[in-house]
Amino acid sequence: MTEHRAGMGSFYGKFERHAGGAGIKGNSTHYCPGCGHGLAHKYLAEAIAELGVQDRTVAVSPVGCSVFLYYYMDVGNTQAAHGRAPAVALGHKLANPESIVVSYQGDGDLASIGLAEIVSTAQAGIPVTVIFINNAIYGMTGGQMAPTTLMGMKTTTSPHGRSPMTGQPMKVAELMAGLDGPIYVERVALFNAKERMRAKAAIKKAVSLQVEGKGFGFVEVLAECPTHLKLSPLDSIKWVQEKMLPVFPLGVKKDAQPAGGFKTFTPSFDQKKVTEIVTGGHSGKAPTFSRKFPDHIAPKDVALKLAGSGGDGAQTAALLITRAGINEGYDATHIPSYGPESRGGTSYADVHIADGEVLSPASPAPHVLVAFNQPSLEKFGPTVQPGGTIIYDSSVVVGRPTFEGKKVYGVPFAQIAKDLGKLVVKNIVALGALQAATDILPKDSFLAAVRMELRSKAALIPLNEKAFEAGVKAVKS
Amino acid sequence: MNQKTTKVKEKPKPFLLPAYCKGCGRCIAACVKGCITPGSKINPHTGLVPVDLNLEACTSCGLCVIACPEPYGLRLAPSEGTEGVQGDFVLEDPAKLFGPRASGAPKPEPIPDQVIPLPECEPLVTKGTYASAIGAILAGCRHVYGYPITPSTEGAELMAKYQPLLDGVFFQAVSEVATVNFMYGTGGAGLPCITYTSSPGFSLMLEGISYMIGSEVPAVFVNVMRGGPGLGNIAPEQADIKLMCRGLGHGNTHCIVLAPSTPQEMLDLTMKAFELTFKYRNPVLIAADGYLGQMTGMVRMPKSMRKPGIPDWAVYGDRSHRGNLICSICLSEVDLEKHNQRICAKYEAMRKNEQLADLYQCEDAEILLVASNTPSRMAKGAVAALRSQWVKAGLFRPMTLWPFPVDYLKPLLKKIKHIVVVEASAGQLEDEMRLAFSKADIRDYPPIHHVQRMGGVLPQQSEIVDKVLSLREVRP
Ligand code: SF4
Ligand code: SF4
Ligand code: SF4
Repeated sequence: MTEHRAGMGSFYGKFERHAGGAGIKGNSTHYCPGCGHGLAHKYLAEAIAELGVQDRTVAVSPVGCSVFLYYYMDVGNTQAAHGRAPAVALGHKLANPESIVVSYQGDGDLASIGLAEIVSTAQAGIPVTVIFINNAIYGMTGGQMAPTTLMGMKTTTSPHGRSPMTGQPMKVAELMAGLDGPIYVERVALFNAKERMRAKAAIKKAVSLQVEGKGFGFVEVLAECPTHLKLSPLDSIKWVQEKMLPVFPLGVKKDAQPAGGFKTFTPSFDQKKVTEIVTGGHSGKAPTFSRKFPDHIAPKDVALKLAGSGGDGAQTAALLITRAGINEGYDATHIPSYGPESRGGTSYADVHIADGEVLSPASPAPHVLVAFNQPSLEKFGPTVQPGGTIIYDSSVVVGRPTFEGKKVYGVPFAQIAKDLGKLVVKNIVALGALQAATDILPKDSFLAAVRMELRSKAALIPLNEKAFEAGVKAVKS
Repeated sequence: MNQKTTKVKEKPKPFLLPAYCKGCGRCIAACVKGCITPGSKINPHTGLVPVDLNLEACTSCGLCVIACPEPYGLRLAPSEGTEGVQGDFVLEDPAKLFGPRASGAPKPEPIPDQVIPLPECEPLVTKGTYASAIGAILAGCRHVYGYPITPSTEGAELMAKYQPLLDGVFFQAVSEVATVNFMYGTGGAGLPCITYTSSPGFSLMLEGISYMIGSEVPAVFVNVMRGGPGLGNIAPEQADIKLMCRGLGHGNTHCIVLAPSTPQEMLDLTMKAFELTFKYRNPVLIAADGYLGQMTGMVRMPKSMRKPGIPDWAVYGDRSHRGNLICSICLSEVDLEKHNQRICAKYEAMRKNEQLADLYQCEDAEILLVASNTPSRMAKGAVAALRSQWVKAGLFRPMTLWPFPVDYLKPLLKKIKHIVVVEASAGQLEDEMRLAFSKADIRDYPPIHHVQRMGGVLPQQSEIVDKVLSLREVRP
């Protein structure tokens, strides 16, 4: 007994159709007699075989009558959700740039539900191939109106004929040609020998452009759906020629020089490179200066809050405290403002430094508050724990506020920073003041954290060091 | 055709097995020599009327072959005497034509992952989303797709910065719908991929996730949950627990849902997610919250990283994997039921093997707080505060929301007098726990209370403490 082991073109030798490809089905398609899909399949299968890329090809089947493309093509196959084939195709191409990826779609799939995917994939210009079958109707769901349905044409969802209320038939090839991404766009047809030769050549060209790594190719095929046109196969061929052709003119819509943007690539798993990138280049040991946990503030877990408005640098200061704490071997966390309190341009940060593990990272009742402006001071001052410390910017806060049972330091963060020539370092002044007022960590811990943070902008380090010292001095004097 | 061509004397003429002709007539018009005419006999195999061929005038131009839509319809017959040719054109007994698609593709061999040791280094100080991105890179993920949405964008941004340095891919998709389908492609090709999204974006990905489950495609999704419904706000919530545990698109769907609570776990559980997604060929979800995503903390590096291989089932686009198919279609009801049963068996295995929980001061606990993600940290603080008031409180922290780690909870229940579920949603975590009790046939459990906040307001330590102290039997 003989089996069709290796198939015609790049078709399977036998099709595993519904019910296992029993009998005749093992070698004939599921398409209606005269359907254009079979021809497009055949030209695609032949192109793949002729270009010698059968092993490397991944065909993406759409949803629609051609949902079973994978029954036929003896290549790697993926079946995509309705309209999403171009995105799936790109996912394959980017996974293996050496693969040849073909997205095969009908008009409902591509021109209706999948418009965003086809337009964005085409615009990306990455070399994949899209074969678009335009038969002016939804086949699989039973003859509904497609975006490509002709004006006045009766379908099950335009029983009185397509009305102008639903717009004009969508000219996808022209749309594609208008994008920068595709390098080759052609509309072809199947109604006579000449057009079929052109269709076959166009499909081969679109695939070969990908094989050569040149770019994105798109072929729109005007195809016959005799079943839903309710015409004989031969009459449907005539119908395409007479009715569709005037609306969808054939020809090359775009044939551009490749931009050469796409290069194949092999991801790196070099251990050194990966470590350097993910650690930001500072994988070495950070120096430590702290001899004991600051239990003069709290026994196990010190809670801080830094509050100001947008540009005050509260978040950066908070991050530096966190980094300094972790460098010293403690656990530390920082969370930026969240919740209703964060409205109206206020920016606050909760920081914890803990001996052991930070439990709750929020600071509803902090041990230390750094306030960059009056509203923050008024709002959070009262939440500070009894015996806690409040440090505020006395250059913007009016009067000399007091809080019962709490240590309060007014330091002119902004004024000092301005005198140093750069207002933005006021958060570093605040950091110096915090260190001097609380002795939460040694001076050197903070300075090391500042240097680490600024390692890529080394020129700024001296100014920041000066700002920090100025903050320390302001508290001490 | 696999004929071994010897000498072809004359040009090949068309050949047709009547059973493979659908009688469409396309070839009739194609032949200018009039060799093909409409048939008159109904073919007993197909019920269709194949054309008749009379090749006396045939010039072997081949135009009829190009006009025939059937792959095995009109073909050019090699000339007589060519070895093996005849057999190819004999119509087999249809009964014998059963069987899988015939392909010359080889049997694929899996290429295994490689584990590469990492040098020891200082802990990182980094944000939750960054930690997850670093975890993904160390797990061997070089394909990241995404669409910007607050508060998850930092994940995408870090990947956009790092992946090109590693010749990896970060591709910003046109939407979350496209994102999940990029992942379907790359995951289908057998490679690890990840996305960072947040609640409304995650909603859009559900269709794709259902397809991935059906087609058994691996991928990792990090959902940094924010306030809903609708556009809601960008503050932290846990109101997607229901969606992630119960609502993954259409069909019988489930994914393992991992719930980190620290930047460290964002890294560790992301690495774990990649392991699980390939182990089960099923997507894995990471439920984070906006607070955790933004939280900076200490993150220790793992001891090793991975270089992914290519599994045998992948559609990679090479010779070895040519025979593969990624597909969620099963037309026959019997087959689809079998497929579902197989998928459900995977869920069962996940239920059995993949439950994860963290128990904090649970040994002697009488009051059990149940919380995950950031609210679990407030709950942890509450446990410490309650303990300092001599209340025997403990924290049960599910690290897998699905499967709910009921196996770890069950042994604790005897001693527990009250359960207090602390969460940033209207009871979605509590529902998972109650459902898990019911499925595990646990009928005898202590009263369940809750502290629930919504809209981006997180339960605070003090209100958890107050809630516990308000329970009648709890008097310190
Ligand atoms: S319904 Fe139309 S498009 Fe679908 S297979 Fe039949 S003829 Fe072809
Ligand atoms: S090969 Fe040419 S001449 Fe011969 S039957 Fe076909 S179309 Fe007619
Ligand atoms: S084109 Fe093919 S299927 Fe159609 S009638 Fe001719 S041989 Fe038969």
